Amino acid sequence: MKRILLAVALVALAALSAACASTGGSTPPAPSGPVVDGPTIVAKDLKFQTTSVEVKAGSNVTIHFDNQDSAPHNVAVYTDSSASSAPAVGEIVTSAKSELVVPALQPGSYFFRCDVHHDMTGTIVAK
Amino acid sequence: MNPRSSLRPLDVVIRIAIVGLVLGTAYIHSTLGGLLFTLNALGYLTAAVAIVIPLAIASRFRWFIRLGLMGYAATAIIAWAVQGPYYTTAYIAKAIEVALIALLAVDFARMDGNPVKVVKAELALLGSKVGRRAAAGSAGA
Repeated sequence: MKRILLAVALVALAALSAACASTGGSTPPAPSGPVVDGPTIVAKDLKFQTTSVEVKAGSNVTIHFDNQDSAPHNVAVYTDSSASSAPAVGEIVTSAKSELVVPALQPGSYFFRCDVHHDMTGTIVAK
Repeated sequence: MNPRSSLRPLDVVIRIAIVGLVLGTAYIHSTLGGLLFTLNALGYLTAAVAIVIPLAIASRFRWFIRLGLMGYAATAIIAWAVQGPYYTTAYIAKAIEVALIALLAVDFARMDGNPVKVVKAELALLGSKVGRRAAAGSAGA
């Protein structure tokens, strides 16, 4: 019986440890150099009101995020919809505004989503 | 299998703590919005009722409710570990779920005994019932 209890506790701790370990690796470093002002993305009714935005390629850009929901949201920018590589991950906020500095992007199309609600997605085009 | 039906004071404290933890994580999930989190919150609310409701059928299968709730919480933890998000509220919810699993394991040990023996006994009981029903069916044919 004690062995079973111990196994249950170990499985739970392992899951938490795995999550904590993956947190450290997912936060990209803050970009250095000048930053240009960028677009505003609004979250409302569990949707991004702006699903496609343009930013200047080759420059660090500030994206303004306005979460008008009582649910927590953020804006996380990924290189593609697999969400495996994140140039910038915004803070998760509830009924608040935040800013996200995206490091200089090469011209092209990038994917953004809310990390809490993965069905909230959009596209960032760097030109 | 001889599950204990009478509750000692410590059992009541453990049961209250379990319900408190379940309601805590249900509340957190209900604030997150979206269908998945809302369903998760409703699942926890149902479990909170099932773990204490004084119905004969619930008492008879409380062992299954305990195991089911442990599995439910473990699934929620693993799903979160895989896809996140990793932020303060989520860490609080997962800490609650880890504590919930631990308390459910203690509750199971105190009320039902060894889970392996319980499951084996229940499966044997189910097998004998199915066997009797099949035998009665073939005798009637």
